[in-house]
Amino acid sequence: MAFIEIKNLFKRFKKVVAVNHINIDIKQGEMLTLLGPSGCGKTTTLRCVSGLERPEEGDIVIDGKSMVAKGFVQPSKRGIGMVFQNYAVWPHMKVFNNVTYGLKLHGMSKQEVREKTQRVLDLVDLNGLEERYPAQLSGGQQQRVALARALVRNPKVLLLDEPLSNLDAKLREKMRFEIKSLVKRMGITSVYVTHDQAEAMVISDRIVVMESGNVVQIGNPQEIYEKPANRFVADFIGTMNFIPCNITRFLPDKKMAHISTDFSQDILCRTPDTGATTPGKQIYASIRPEDVQIFSEPPQDTANLFRGTIAHKAYLGNFLFFFVSVNGTMIRVQAPHHLPHEEGREIYVFLNPQKCMILF
Amino acid sequence: MSRGDYSLSTFIWLIIAFLVIYPLSILLIESFKIAETGAFGLGNFLEFFKDTYYLKTFANTLFLSALVLLTTTVFGIPLAYILARYRQRGKTVFTALILLPIVLPAYAGVFAFVIFFGKFGTLNLLLMETGLIETPINFIYGLHGLVFIQALHMLPFIVLSLAAGFTQIDPSFEEAAEVEGATGFRRFVTITLPLCTPTYLAGAVIVFLWPFTDWLTPLILGKVDFLPSVSYINIAYHFTDTHRKYMGIVAVVVSSMVCISLFLLARWWVERKKYTGLSKGTTSEGRVIEPSPLIKTGAYLYMGLIAFIVLLTPIVLGLSAFSRRWVFQPFPTYWTLDNFRVIFAESPLLIRNSFLFSAAALLFGVVFGLPAAYIIVRTKVRGKDALDFVITLMLAFPGIAVGVSYLLAFWNTIPLATHWIIMPLALFSRRLPYFLRMAHSSYLQLDISLEEASEVSGIGKIRTFFYISLPLLIKGVLVGVVMFFIMAFQEISTAIFLYRGGWETLPIGIYLNWHRGMEFGIAAAMAFLMIVITFILLLIISRIGGGILKAAWGPGSR
Repeated sequence: MAFIEIKNLFKRFKKVVAVNHINIDIKQGEMLTLLGPSGCGKTTTLRCVSGLERPEEGDIVIDGKSMVAKGFVQPSKRGIGMVFQNYAVWPHMKVFNNVTYGLKLHGMSKQEVREKTQRVLDLVDLNGLEERYPAQLSGGQQQRVALARALVRNPKVLLLDEPLSNLDAKLREKMRFEIKSLVKRMGITSVYVTHDQAEAMVISDRIVVMESGNVVQIGNPQEIYEKPANRFVADFIGTMNFIPCNITRFLPDKKMAHISTDFSQDILCRTPDTGATTPGKQIYASIRPEDVQIFSEPPQDTANLFRGTIAHKAYLGNFLFFFVSVNGTMIRVQAPHHLPHEEGREIYVFLNPQKCMILF
Repeated sequence: MSRGDYSLSTFIWLIIAFLVIYPLSILLIESFKIAETGAFGLGNFLEFFKDTYYLKTFANTLFLSALVLLTTTVFGIPLAYILARYRQRGKTVFTALILLPIVLPAYAGVFAFVIFFGKFGTLNLLLMETGLIETPINFIYGLHGLVFIQALHMLPFIVLSLAAGFTQIDPSFEEAAEVEGATGFRRFVTITLPLCTPTYLAGAVIVFLWPFTDWLTPLILGKVDFLPSVSYINIAYHFTDTHRKYMGIVAVVVSSMVCISLFLLARWWVERKKYTGLSKGTTSEGRVIEPSPLIKTGAYLYMGLIAFIVLLTPIVLGLSAFSRRWVFQPFPTYWTLDNFRVIFAESPLLIRNSFLFSAAALLFGVVFGLPAAYIIVRTKVRGKDALDFVITLMLAFPGIAVGVSYLLAFWNTIPLATHWIIMPLALFSRRLPYFLRMAHSSYLQLDISLEEASEVSGIGKIRTFFYISLPLLIKGVLVGVVMFFIMAFQEISTAIFLYRGGWETLPIGIYLNWHRGMEFGIAAAMAFLMIVITFILLLIISRIGGGILKAAWGPGSR
């Protein structure tokens, strides 16, 4: 039984459909990320869960209780904590008052308020800053205030709307791990919205990839990266070579197929788990740059091996990046930097059949 | 930083020194002059603060300011909230109507309300006819009427500043409070209102200073014990009684001091607490709410009521302008164009003067304002911040202070006051900040790289200004120009001290007609004429600058 159920959720703004009948189940204690480009409906979905947005159709169920279908439940009654993209830390209140705002409204004794606040400020490492105004804090500290405020009422669910997007890169990387370990320690079920795929990979138990209001794929970070459901997911997460191709022969028992491309009549490729492709739709042989191997001399095995020329080379510190032209088709290759290949040189490109997959 | 910038800055400073600093210092010096001996000392001020009458006047003015601010705030908060947050039809029309008083001359409203709410005005007569009351109710004469008229005139400033706050607050501040469990009114009081205080204060200070500036409304309503009215009476009526004259000057100086201190205080406070700029990613529209039908109806009724009161001014003045002998009748019975015939036959000069002086003031404004804005926005010339500060400070000075100081400064030592040029000069320096602000904000929006690109292509600074900057600035500048013209066209508190026979403008004509023989018809016709001219000018602005709304609020927004 899922802890949060998003059932057949539908929401549009004027005529634009923001969320198109989506279903997501979130397990208790799970950290789930909604990932997608801007305008894909991830924030709207989160706001529907929080109650700041009313869905037109569908229901949100939190801990077995319906939030929409059996009468709309106000955000304050949902047992949620929320961290906003711009922190939304009230600038006219001191840190202490920001954090205790919700507690006071729920009629708690002064002693209790003090203890709870102390504990949560400890947790986010903000002790001693209670009497500061937000303007006297750094961006990272304001972020922690927002987190403390969201956590202080012991919410059943924590919602985070791109909480790190306003921080600088270094701090962002650090906060990813901090938020994850904090949330995991408290065992709170959380929904995290981001457009940053690296952030999603670090922070999530499972990722929901969304595109124009639809869920494209749900899976753990490894599944999403290694077995992307389609070209959109593969392109959005990481880098991928897409080579237009046609299937010449299926090998259903091995889940493989022979394909033809502009530069070769026969390449062996993995077929997707979902099975056959839709006829008439352009399909692509897809392989990540780091899975492409290059050789100066042709190796023994000649299957999936092609001769090409290095068109461009870039030095990126921890690796080299090549654009290899194989009969005019550009293939991106990421290789260890001890390989001494210069631009214009002929080399051999090996597309590993196990790593090369058909996407559409 | 070039030599040119320095000479330009020097030129601007010379103008400021001659037209602002010199006369205002003369005013200050004169206030220390003892009438009987001609020596200088603190005597006048000591007497002012010992005299129970002047002290009472001072207290009255403060009290009136507080009441006006309270009234505008109480009525302004719901109004601003409705306009800023509710999604509804006809919003633009209502907004324009509610903001109308900004561009209408204050004295026009006074005449209209006297006709409508007076002892035997339309409302009382109607109420008596229907038998609801036996004797007329005093709606308007007295403190309550004064508060009502001044509050209505200043309401737009509060509404605009609050509405700006309501729309600029990042929606997530309120959403966070919603998630934390604060609903409705509580959220409004603990989060929304406090976050609006800086923008509110910017408007509130302008409202608070109005009773220190407006001498005419108390005069017409017969309650004169307020600083500006007392100053006016002392200086203009008792010019030969030097003692009273100097007490009047002291009153002007005291008013100016109060105005400047409050203005600076508010400015300092606002600068310190700028909440709206703190968070990133604000949507331009802000939070918009779909109210329930009941609330929506209430909102419409409320807006309708305010709009009706605002519209009374042009309507009543119009009725009065096209009629004669409108006495003891709820509505006019005898329609005629006589009033206008009198105006055009006997005093076409007034109209000519009004246009001439305003146009001349405008010319000064442009010649001064554009380079000043350039210096302040684009250069690093030393003293540019001081320049900005001095010019902005003119916003706080009561018109009466400018008028009196010009009278004192340009009479004997520099006898400029004998030439009509003094009129546009005074109008210009009184409204100095308005045009500058306009040019300033357009300049800020103009990306400097557009100018740099031109200079890199080998075009000189001056040609760059005319080929690149000016064409791109022209919209904002034109709106500023028209707004400045409207302001100058309506100016009375400065002009009233400086005009001589033959230099009367329309506002002075209105005042004189009321003052000499209670020629209400002609005064009303003149006021109506001014409203019509203002409207035509506003239409021109909205054509240029997109929307009456923007046009009306332009000069005030920063």
